[in-house]
Amino acid sequence: MDRRSGKLKAFGSYHPTVLMIYFLSILLIAAFLSNPVLQTEALLGGILFCATLQRRGDGLRDLGFYLPLFLMVAVTNPIFSHNGVTPLFFLNGNPVTLEAVFYGIALAVTVIGVLLWCKCYSRIMTEDKFLYLFGRAAPKLSLTLSMALRFIPVFLRQSRRVSRAQKAMGLYAGKSIPDRVKNRLRVMTAMISWSLEHAMETSASMKARGYGNKGRTNFSLFRFRASDGALLAVLLLLLAVSAVGAAVGVTAFSYYPKVSVIPLSPDALTVYAAFGILSLLPSIIEGKEAVVWRFYRSRI
Amino acid sequence: MALLQVEDLSFRYPNGAQNALDHIDLQVERGEFMVLCGPSGCGKTTLLRLLKQELAPAGERSGQIFYEGAPQSRLHNAGAIGFVQQNPESQIVTDKVWHELAFGLENMGVPTEVIRRRVGEMASFFGIQGWFRQKTDTLSGGQKQLLNLAAVMVMQPNLLILDEPTVQLDPIAAADFISTLQKLNRELGLTILLAEHRLEEVLPIADRVLLMKNGSVQLCETPRKIGAALKANDPMLFALPCAVRLWRELGAADDCPLTVREGRDFLVRHDPKPAAAPPEAPYRHEEEATISLSNVWFRYEKELPDILRGSSLTVFRKEVFCILGGNGAGKTTLLHVIAGLDKAYRGKIKIGGKPLENYKGSALYRQNLAFLPQDPQTVFVKDTVRADLSEILEVMELPRFEREEKIKRIAEKLGITRLLDRHPYDLSGGEQQSCALAKVLLSEPKILLLDEPTKGLDAGAKRSLQKLLRELKTDGITVLLVTHDLEFAAETADRCGLFFDGEILSADPPQKFFAENSFYTTAANRIARGLWKNAVTCEQVLACCKASEML
Repeated sequence: MDRRSGKLKAFGSYHPTVLMIYFLSILLIAAFLSNPVLQTEALLGGILFCATLQRRGDGLRDLGFYLPLFLMVAVTNPIFSHNGVTPLFFLNGNPVTLEAVFYGIALAVTVIGVLLWCKCYSRIMTEDKFLYLFGRAAPKLSLTLSMALRFIPVFLRQSRRVSRAQKAMGLYAGKSIPDRVKNRLRVMTAMISWSLEHAMETSASMKARGYGNKGRTNFSLFRFRASDGALLAVLLLLLAVSAVGAAVGVTAFSYYPKVSVIPLSPDALTVYAAFGILSLLPSIIEGKEAVVWRFYRSRI
Repeated sequence: MALLQVEDLSFRYPNGAQNALDHIDLQVERGEFMVLCGPSGCGKTTLLRLLKQELAPAGERSGQIFYEGAPQSRLHNAGAIGFVQQNPESQIVTDKVWHELAFGLENMGVPTEVIRRRVGEMASFFGIQGWFRQKTDTLSGGQKQLLNLAAVMVMQPNLLILDEPTVQLDPIAAADFISTLQKLNRELGLTILLAEHRLEEVLPIADRVLLMKNGSVQLCETPRKIGAALKANDPMLFALPCAVRLWRELGAADDCPLTVREGRDFLVRHDPKPAAAPPEAPYRHEEEATISLSNVWFRYEKELPDILRGSSLTVFRKEVFCILGGNGAGKTTLLHVIAGLDKAYRGKIKIGGKPLENYKGSALYRQNLAFLPQDPQTVFVKDTVRADLSEILEVMELPRFEREEKIKRIAEKLGITRLLDRHPYDLSGGEQQSCALAKVLLSEPKILLLDEPTKGLDAGAKRSLQKLLRELKTDGITVLLVTHDLEFAAETADRCGLFFDGEILSADPPQKFFAENSFYTTAANRIARGLWKNAVTCEQVLACCKASEML
């Protein structure tokens, strides 16, 4: 539940395994396939999903970042790459080709698409989901990580306190560099003793609760529900269609030496449709959930 | 059969000169709530840790510990005896509340579905639902300690051992914690062994009180008998609730009162005479104002709310001023602003008659103002107390031969001579406090700022602190302290001020201050309310009793 918007984050509430598979497949396809239709679909899906995750006011700032980036990538390619057979004009004696212009635009679409998807990934795959997936593979490591995440803020707070206490005693509180270095060193040595002390108490607390017994289990709040299974099935089906189609070459497309014709065979159209749905999937789920939420809220 | 039986237990630490525990015999019955008390260093922690074999310290040991009739070593379930330590912060292992709750069950290899149910059940019982998914770092001290308790309870122990769990908590969180313990004992029949020095709250709910002294059991009695069982001049007398002390001092024959209500009934029964009320002590102060604040405003960041909202305060030379107030009201922030650690964005602050901003570099902290933070550990950065003390003299550019002499003098004054060569972190809370105070006093301050100086101190240490503050006062030092400890403020302060909503509301001598409050006041005052005005400390109430010729 996103408290700020009061809206359910529908897609993010699916099981981490499903989410991870989803993001991996989208990112792989978006990054490696060079078919303008598929590339555009990935970008549109990314934009829409990002928009649903957006907080108010983020949109303009994002536009200010992605638009120049888009232009930069699109313009840079034809300036530096002179492949292609259709020169448009000459710049400093070098040809600027139509193919390079097209490829630049396609590259920009891909880069922005991947960046947007990465942004969605970081919003959805929060630290606890990642730790959970990680923990299945390496339980010891994930406990260590969880303990580290616990320890770091405590450590920082304590070192700030020590540093202030020392300042209030007028010890090396000056602004000169030797004073500052000396102060840092003193605080660090104190913090080493403090950390050891803290670790002893923590380990007592762990031992007191039976840490070190054989057969430790790994608890998590995530449950694999029927809806996760359904989403996973749909996702795998769409993924299979797109991947197989791409592998056998029904969507083959090339920019060099001459821009080829966009394949429009029934097979290719099927692949476009499958990947289109795949990349729009999160937005569809968010959209459906928003409608459902509005309906339920009207009854509150 | 007793749940826990200790027979002739003695224990000595490696390199220990004497036994830390000496021939202890003890029985804890099923469902009993036993309170363990005694001055710090009397062996409470050692005993409790020996009872929990996973935490037993290394050393020489003799005697037997039986759990449910069988020797302790046969107990293989770590969850059967729960243990909660002093420091709420360092006991938390993981970064999320739900994970912390599940941690013990994970260790025992309980399957996920069972953990889910038990964790849910515990979170509901302890009222943790609201912060179940939060990071442990965002919790308050009281919430952290409650989480530690819940994380132990989730393993369904038969015996719960707690080693001074409320020491680091403010009084409201401590009272909450203790009432949770009472609930566990009453509603689940849980056996509890609690080491605690806040007797005012635990005596009324305890079944038996075990008093330790120098590693042996001094007495083990029901709470109503403990008052009579103590010898005269026993320092533990000062730790008892006010009602018990009154009853004992008057040598009454009826049942010993434990709570404020019983204390009142006791006084009323024995015919108090209104004429015995003490006169209001006159308030005098020096002319010179050493700290003055006028209309001071402060907030941490531009977007955050104000913490200080036009605070004004004048403290005169040789005065002990106590600032009281609720938790998170901003009392500590006020001290930080006065100590120049945080900068007010509006208003005037004068220290020793000179505006705060005119002190450059470390000038404010040289022979002028000293600040002792809440956690005395933050004051130490060296391996021994002596090195820490000597460091501050070095910075003050004192010649080497004078340093030794100075350290010796301050150590004698604060009674820490035997601690000088120890590591600061190895000392008890009270000892750390005294050593930290020694360090800040070496800068020869005229003004001393103290943040919660009584936190974690036992009754004896509190009395020494009180005595020390009085001595400092006669040396011409002004003391401004922030505290939750109403009893301490009533006995120590020249004036008290209530900090509320970013301001200091009233500043009056303690008699007037507490006599006009009806909730926020000392236990003694609540007992004597309506009988004798102006009697706010236990001593004053006792004097009234004697003057009324009760008994």
